[in-house]
Amino acid sequence: MKEFFYPSKMAVFGVAANPRNLARNIISNSLKMGFKGEIFPVGREPGLVHGRRIITSPESLPEGIDLAVILVPARFVADTLELCGQKGILHAVISTGGFSEFERYNNRDEQEMLRVAGQYGIRFIGPNCIGVICTESGLCTPFNPMGAERFMNGPIGLIVQSGGVTTQAAYHFSEEHVGFSKIISAGNKLDLNETDFLRYLMEDEETKQIHMYLESIDDGRELMRLVRASSKPIVLFKSNVTRTASEIAYSHTAALSNNDLIVEGALRQSGVVRVQSLHQMTVAARAFQLPPLRGNRLAVISLSGGFSVILGDACEQYGFECPPLPSELMNKIEGFRRAGVIRMSNPMDFGDVHDIRALAFTLEHCLKLDHIDAVVLSFMYEPQMARLFGKGVGTSEQILSFVGKLCKDTGKPIALSFFAERKFIEGFKSLSTFPVFNDPVESVKGLALLWDYWRGREGTRGLKNR
Amino acid sequence: MEIIEKALKQGRATLSEYESKQVLASYGIPVTREFMAAGAEDLIKAASEIGYPLVLKGCSPAIAHKTEKNLIRVDIRNEDEAKAGFEEISAHIGAEDSILVQEMVKGQRELVIGLTRDPQFGPCVMFGLGGIFTEILKDISFRVAPLEERDAMEMMKEIRGAKIMEGVRGMEPADLDAFSSILIKVGQIGLENEQIKEIDMNPVIISGSRPVAVDALVVLDGQTEEGEPQGPK
Repeated sequence: MKEFFYPSKMAVFGVAANPRNLARNIISNSLKMGFKGEIFPVGREPGLVHGRRIITSPESLPEGIDLAVILVPARFVADTLELCGQKGILHAVISTGGFSEFERYNNRDEQEMLRVAGQYGIRFIGPNCIGVICTESGLCTPFNPMGAERFMNGPIGLIVQSGGVTTQAAYHFSEEHVGFSKIISAGNKLDLNETDFLRYLMEDEETKQIHMYLESIDDGRELMRLVRASSKPIVLFKSNVTRTASEIAYSHTAALSNNDLIVEGALRQSGVVRVQSLHQMTVAARAFQLPPLRGNRLAVISLSGGFSVILGDACEQYGFECPPLPSELMNKIEGFRRAGVIRMSNPMDFGDVHDIRALAFTLEHCLKLDHIDAVVLSFMYEPQMARLFGKGVGTSEQILSFVGKLCKDTGKPIALSFFAERKFIEGFKSLSTFPVFNDPVESVKGLALLWDYWRGREGTRGLKNR
Repeated sequence: MEIIEKALKQGRATLSEYESKQVLASYGIPVTREFMAAGAEDLIKAASEIGYPLVLKGCSPAIAHKTEKNLIRVDIRNEDEAKAGFEEISAHIGAEDSILVQEMVKGQRELVIGLTRDPQFGPCVMFGLGGIFTEILKDISFRVAPLEERDAMEMMKEIRGAKIMEGVRGMEPADLDAFSSILIKVGQIGLENEQIKEIDMNPVIISGSRPVAVDALVVLDGQTEEGEPQGPK
């Protein structure tokens, strides 16, 4: 499997010097991402592509090529694989479309492709996919032009059935400052499927969480078995759950729909965290950077009465409880108030407490309470806040390291968000030192996804849900 | 299992209600007390075994929707009513079909428990609101077999109408352990009997606090290992 992500030599089939040729983008995308391996463009007409001569007689390809990326018309794919087999190239990304997603029954090109692959023992991703993006090696096989230089390295490995969603996932995970280690665009999954990729990513050291976008689940029982064995969180965005979607899904990636109620049950049973959008994947990705969540009881602190109310709703709607806090602690916290006009409860309105010592005191003591499993902290931010709050927490870096340290020391999650101008929120997120959610409600959603995960873990089996 | 082998040999795709319940009972799933009656003599004997009130049902593998076909008489309170009901149903069924004499289970809460085979996940157990609400509200949840007790407990909590299991309106709370054990056993039946394609227990009535399968249907998969449909031999 490693050859799919870290090839030392790669051949790209279907390249032409013509600027409208698609296969040439496979080369430019990889170069933009800093791919260090050797690239051999193969095509029918001689010419130059990104400074490399197009090889027109594939027999002259050197030995030791690990990976072929194939974007030739469907009827030539089998012949190309034959060539790969003869050259000892045993891994291929087959980007070409027009197989069973297009012609469902007795597709001869498809049968021939499978026969040749079987004969030589070639393993392939696809067909009808855009292959692999690996931020570590710089390999970027999509044939659509991409801003690949902006892709961010991070701890998330993705398995994505659709090419368009692959592209958007690469951008969104990067723009959200979460990053990714590898994305696999799985396409029709005719040879390798999600369970193969899952097995690889479970072992991959660069990958700490595995996220999937699937339109069909091929082997549900094996998927469940793997998920249970995984020490890494697994997040799934499963689409194709309505009748309207099922026809387009079939012509898109030859995906057959599953009974969604069964999928839902199976995911809960095995501990997969299910999300409903690409963006929620990044919310989950952030949440899983937090310490384990061991229960559903929260203390909520907001520097705004309004957001305290909104957060109260969010907590209950996502299945959390905000139990009363000890009156002794409440009295001490109330002692820090400025105007003394706001009563403390849980959620706590910190609207008139402008003292960093008060916040530190409250956070620390709440996290230490046995009956509190996590804290939701919604901070108001403006660069001049330092003046209000006192020394040591003025800069964004200081705020994040302050919260991060508390989290680490107590081993409990703090779901952190800011209400501030968008540019400041982006600034916090871009530091990537501690997860910052886009808004207060999203931070509670993050905890809900984290709870979905920890509640389902083997270690907590047998415990009653609190 | 002998009942299943026999039905498959006869080329049948379903078990009768009586046979279905025998399969379920052999796994320890609580079902109604019932007897098959071919004539008046059987009827009176069964009635005295079970005691009134009774339910009479026309029963044959060919009859799936008994209510729609007017083949059920409930709340039969004495011998005269039993005999009259028996004659009425007899007029509507085939010569070789029998009539099921069944205890009448009292309880206002009806659930459904079932088994289905999913092409990707294999045997899956279903739980939900029963009776007419199964079709109207589709308030059901699934788990993939085998089920652990935790799975069974969770799937009962998952339906929107989960409160039905609690002590609502002065009723006793449902015996969750008994329900859980049924759900686990249904999964086990699915894993151990390849030839069972579906099970539908609807309704499972909460009688006091205990679940009882009042109606049941086992659908068979008449495919041989080679995938050929198995006809009568």
